[in-house]
Amino acid sequence: MKIAVCIKQVPTREWQPRLNDDKTWIRDQDASFEMNEPDAYALEEALRLKEKHSGEVVVCSAGPARVAQVIREALARGADRAIHVEDDGLASADGFVTSQALAAAMKDEQFDLVLTGLQSDDQGFAQVGVILAEKLDLPHATIIMEVQAESGTLRVKRELEGGWFQWVAMPLPAVLTIQSGINQLRYATLKGIMAAKKKEIKKVGLPSLAAGASAGKQKIVSLYLPEKAKKTQLIPGAPAEAAKELVRRLREEARVIA
Amino acid sequence: MILVIAEQRDGRLNRATWETIAGAQQLAGQTGAPIAVLVPGANAGGAAKELAAAQVKEILTLEHAALEPYTPDGYTAALQAAIAELSPAHVLLPHTYQTRDFAPKLAARLDRALVTDVTGVKAAGSDAAFVRPMFQGKLTADVVPLGPAPHFVTFQIGAYRADQAARGQSPAPVRALSVNVDAGAIRERPEAPFQQARQAVDLSQAERIVSVGRGIKEQANIAVAQQLAEALGAEIAASRPICDAGWLPMERQVGSSGQTVAPKLYLALGISGAIQHLVGMKGANTVVAINKDPDAPIFEIADYGIVGDLFEIVPAIIEAVKK
Amino acid sequence: METVAFWILLLAFLGAFAAQVARRVQLIAAAPATISIENPAARASRFIVDVLLQARTIRERPLAGLMHALVFWGFVAFGLYTTTEFLRGLGIVDLTHTGWFRAYRLLLTPFAIGVLAGILFLLVRRTILRPVGLGTKVSVESVVIALFIATLMITFLLTFRLDEASPAGRVNWWVHAVVILVFMALIPASKHLHLVLSPVTVFLKSPELGNLPNLDFEKEQVGLETVKDLGSKSVLDAFTCVECGRCQVNCPAWGAGKELNPKAIILQTQEALLAGQRERKLGEVYSEKVLWQCTTCGACENQCPVGIEHLPILIGSRRGLVSNGDAPDYLGAMYNNLERRSNIWGLGYDQRTKFIQSAGLEIFDAAKHDVLVWLGCAGSFDADFQKSLRSLFSILRTKDVKFGVLAKERCNGDPAKRTGNEYMYQELANGNIDDLKAAAPKTILTSCPHCVKTIGDDYRKFGYQVDIVHSSVYVEQLLRSAAAASGSRDVVTYHDPCYLGRYGGKVDEPRALLERFGADIKEPQRNRDNPYCCGAGGGLLFADKEEEPGSRISDVRFKQLQATGANTVVTACPFCSIMLKGAQASAGADTQFVDLMTFVDGKLTKA
Repeated sequence: MKIAVCIKQVPTREWQPRLNDDKTWIRDQDASFEMNEPDAYALEEALRLKEKHSGEVVVCSAGPARVAQVIREALARGADRAIHVEDDGLASADGFVTSQALAAAMKDEQFDLVLTGLQSDDQGFAQVGVILAEKLDLPHATIIMEVQAESGTLRVKRELEGGWFQWVAMPLPAVLTIQSGINQLRYATLKGIMAAKKKEIKKVGLPSLAAGASAGKQKIVSLYLPEKAKKTQLIPGAPAEAAKELVRRLREEARVIA
Repeated sequence: MILVIAEQRDGRLNRATWETIAGAQQLAGQTGAPIAVLVPGANAGGAAKELAAAQVKEILTLEHAALEPYTPDGYTAALQAAIAELSPAHVLLPHTYQTRDFAPKLAARLDRALVTDVTGVKAAGSDAAFVRPMFQGKLTADVVPLGPAPHFVTFQIGAYRADQAARGQSPAPVRALSVNVDAGAIRERPEAPFQQARQAVDLSQAERIVSVGRGIKEQANIAVAQQLAEALGAEIAASRPICDAGWLPMERQVGSSGQTVAPKLYLALGISGAIQHLVGMKGANTVVAINKDPDAPIFEIADYGIVGDLFEIVPAIIEAVKK
Repeated sequence: METVAFWILLLAFLGAFAAQVARRVQLIAAAPATISIENPAARASRFIVDVLLQARTIRERPLAGLMHALVFWGFVAFGLYTTTEFLRGLGIVDLTHTGWFRAYRLLLTPFAIGVLAGILFLLVRRTILRPVGLGTKVSVESVVIALFIATLMITFLLTFRLDEASPAGRVNWWVHAVVILVFMALIPASKHLHLVLSPVTVFLKSPELGNLPNLDFEKEQVGLETVKDLGSKSVLDAFTCVECGRCQVNCPAWGAGKELNPKAIILQTQEALLAGQRERKLGEVYSEKVLWQCTTCGACENQCPVGIEHLPILIGSRRGLVSNGDAPDYLGAMYNNLERRSNIWGLGYDQRTKFIQSAGLEIFDAAKHDVLVWLGCAGSFDADFQKSLRSLFSILRTKDVKFGVLAKERCNGDPAKRTGNEYMYQELANGNIDDLKAAAPKTILTSCPHCVKTIGDDYRKFGYQVDIVHSSVYVEQLLRSAAAASGSRDVVTYHDPCYLGRYGGKVDEPRALLERFGADIKEPQRNRDNPYCCGAGGGLLFADKEEEPGSRISDVRFKQLQATGANTVVTACPFCSIMLKGAQASAGADTQFVDLMTFVDGKLTKA
C-alpha cells in the first residue's frame, strides 16, 4: 500500500504566543515547534498499516524550511521518504492554500491512501484533509477511529457525537482524517534517528504548482488575547448557595452543562 | 439571504441547529439579510415544523435519496445544487462532526471561503468578521472571509445557547425544495450508526466526568457521586486509592497509571490533586474541585472550587442541576 | 620420588587451573573495553577498606562477615607458608627449618584457629541455617571447599603434633599439599575465582555509584543488545561473583516479590558467557520483563563486597532494548511527554511561570544572586511539592540568601537516562547545559536528589562541572548556628532518598537538621546509605498500573516506616513523597507526611 501522511509543524502547546506588529499573526521567531498531535496519530496509523500490508509511507508537509524538523521526526519514526512543499508564505496560509499546495505535489504519486490529522493545533480549522480529498477527487471520511484495508476497499470507523460510531466503506484510493488518541504513538528509536539521516526528502517549490491555485480565502484582521484569564474561582457561602452559584456559572459562563 | 443548514437524524433535530439560528440572527442584525433554514434528509417534515417557530423567513425541506443516509458525497452534491438555486450570501452550519465531514468539501467544490468553529459575529468595517479561537484557545482571531459569496461559516457548539434563538410571532412558512442529483455517484457506503457497547468503559471519550477521591471516605458514599453523575449525564471515575481498594473498577481510574481524559467538565470530589492524578485529567476544559482542605493542590488547577463538606455540597448541586 | 610425583601433580593441576582461567581471560579480552582506573587514589583507598579490612563484607552481615574476614586474613597470612612448603616439595629449596619459618608457624597458629572457627561457622550457616540470600539449594561446591579449608587448617595444626618424617607426618603433608592443588584447580570453575579476581574488581570498580558513560552516537553506539556487547568490566564482574546474595536481599524489587534478582542477573551473565552464546539477545538472557523492574536505587552495587557493578549491565541492556523500540508502553508515554513538553508529566510550562510569579521569584542573575535554585519538574508542576519549596524560599529569605531561578528548565534527563533512552537524555542534558553555562551560577541549590546526581555527576561527562547541593545540606550549614529547639520532641521517622543517601552519601545533614529542630527520629531498619527504595526510580513511577496494590515497592517501604511507630514521615525528595503518599492512600492509613524543609521552616518561624 502506498500511503501518504500529511503532517504540519505547529508551535508547541506551552509556547506563549507573541503577536507580530500589526497583530494579524504570531511572531514565531522565538517559538519552539513540534509535530501537530493529530498528525502524529495519523502517522502512527500509517506505519501500522504498512507493517500489516507492506508498502511505503510518504510524509508530505507544506511549510517554511523549519518544517524539516518534523519531517525528520516522521522519518525517524519509520516513514520511508518525504515531500516538502517549501515556501515561507505557507507558515500562515489558510487551509485552502495549504491543501492546494499539497494536492499539486501529491497528485502524480498515485497514493492508495492519504491520512491527515483531523485538525491542526494552531489554526484548528479542520479543513485541509477534506479539501485535499476534493482536490484529489477521492472519497473521504473524517474523525476516524479505526482503519481496515482489504484488497482495494476501505472500511473505517467514524466517531460521532455522544458515544455513537459508524462504520463506512469506500473504495481505495481515499482520504481519511484521523482522530487523536486512537493508537499508542511509537517514539523515534535511536536506530530510527540514525536511519532517517539517509532518507529522501523531495523539495518542491510553490510557484511550480501555481496554475489554478486560488489565493487565500480568509484574512485575519485582528489577533488578540482572550479577556478571560484562567484563575481559580472559589465560590463562597453555605453549601446550598455555593452549589446553586456553581451550577449557574457552569451553565452560563463555562457552558458545560445544559 | 442567510442560509442555515439544519442537522437532523431520523426526524430528530440536533439542538445545535437552534444555536446556529441564534448565530444567524446575530449576523442578520448586521447585514439585514433574511434567514432561511434548510432541513436536509428523510423525514424532514417533523424537524421543519419544530423550526418553524423560529423568527426566520422560511423553512425549506430537502428530501432526496442522495441525502439518506448521510454521506459527504451525497450532501455535497445536493447542497451544491440547493445553494445554486438559492444564491445565499452566507451559509451557516453548526460545527458538528457531520458538518466537519462535508462542509470543507462543499466549500472547496464551490471554491468559496469557509470559516469554522466560530464563537461570535462582529462588524469589521463594512464586512462581517467572525470571531474564533486559535492556538488552543490562547488567542482569539477576527476573521473576514474573502472572495465572492456565498461565505460558509460553522458555529462552535455551545457558543450560542439554543434558547437565545428568537422565536417568531407566527410560524414561518415551510416549503419543499427539490434538486437533481445522481445518487449513484456516491462512493461512500455507510452502515447504521451504533452506540459503543458499554462493557468497556472508555472515559477518554466522556464529555462530563464526576471523579471521587479519598474524601469520599467509604464505598457506600460513592452512591451520592453516582447520583450527581446521572443528573449531569456524566461518567463516574476515581483516583488510584479508590480503585486499589476495589470500590470502583480499574477502568475508572484516572491518572498517570490509569486513563487519560479530556472532558468538557471534570468534577473532582474529595480529590487532593496529587500530580499522578492531575496528569490524567489536565486536558479537561473546565475543572470543578470540591474538597474540605483549602490547601489541597487540586485548587491550584481548578477553574471553580468550593471548600467544604462534599456530603452537603453534592446533594445541593444535584438539586440545582435538576431545576 | 616424592619430588617427581609432586612436580607432576603440580603441573597437572596448574595446567587445569590455567586452562580454565585462560578461557575466562579470553572472554574478558574479547569484550569491549570498559575498564578504567581513573581516580586511582579513591580506588586504592576503597581497596584497603573493602578488601584488606573487609569492611563491606562485615557491615551488612556482621557475624558472617567477621567469620569470612577471619578466613580471608588467614588465607593471606598462609601465603608465605604454602609457598615455602611447595618450594620444599618441588626440591628447589628447603627453608622449613630456618628460625624465621619456625617463628612464622607459631604466629600462624591463631590465624589457623580463626580460619577453622570461621569456616565451621560459615559451613553451619550455609547448610543448617540456610539464609535466603544463599539460594534455595545448598551449594555442594561450597561445602566441598569449606571442608577443604577446614582440612588445610587441621593438617597445619597437626604438624605441631606429628613428626614430619614419620609416615603419619608424610601423609599429613601430602593431604595438605594435594588439597591445595585440587582447590587451585577448582577455583576458576567456581565462585572461588573471587579469590583471584575480587581484589582486581574492587580496584577497578568505579568510584561513582551507577556509573553510566554516555553513548557515542558518532560511533553508532546503541547500548547492549547481545552477550558480546557486554563490557570487559561486566565480564570480569560475572566471574567474580561469590553468590553471597547481598545484592538480592537488599534489592527493593526482589523484596516486593518481583522477579528481578540482581544475583541471578550476574549468574545468568556468567552462564551465557561460558556457554559461548555471543549472539544471544540480553533481553532474552535476563528476560525483558525483569529488566524493567529495576529502580536504579543502587543497593545491589553498593552492597556487593567484590566490586560488581550491576547497573551498567541492567541499564546497558535497557539501552539496547530502547534503541530497538522495545520499551514498555508506560515508558513510551513518558518519552512522548519528554519529547513534546520536556518534562515527564506532559504539563505546560505556564504552570511553572505561575509558580514563579506567585512565589515572588527572581530570574537568576549571577551578578546579583548567591545561588541558583533549580526547581526541577516537581518544583515546576507539583503543587504539593511547591509547598516544600515555599518553605525553602522562606528559610533562604530569613537568612538573607539572594537566589534566583532559570527562566527555562527542562527535565534534567534522569528518567530518560536510567530507563535507557540515551538519545533523549543527551538532548535534554545538552539543552540544559547550554542554559546553565549562559547563566553561569557558582552554586546550584535544589530539593530533588535526582537533579543533584544527574546535574552534578552525569553532566560532568559532557565536560560541564558545577557545584550542585541538596537543600538539606545547604540549609543544614546555613542554620548551623540556629538556636537549638527546646520543649517536647516530635516523634518522626526519616526516609533517606536513595539518590541522596546512597548515591550522595548525605545522611548526616538531614538528621542534624531534624534533631536541631526538635525531632526525635525513629530509624527504620533500612536507612542511611542503605535505604529501601520508595519505588519511583528507573521509570517505575509510572509502572504502578502493572502492579497489584499491596505488592508495590512503595507499599513495602511504607509498612517499614509505619513499623517504626512514628506517625510522621519526613521526606527529602519529591518522588519519595509522591510514592509514599500513594502507598499511604492505598493502605488507607493516616500517617502524616512532611517535607524536611517544611518541618524546619515550621520551627524557624515559631522561634
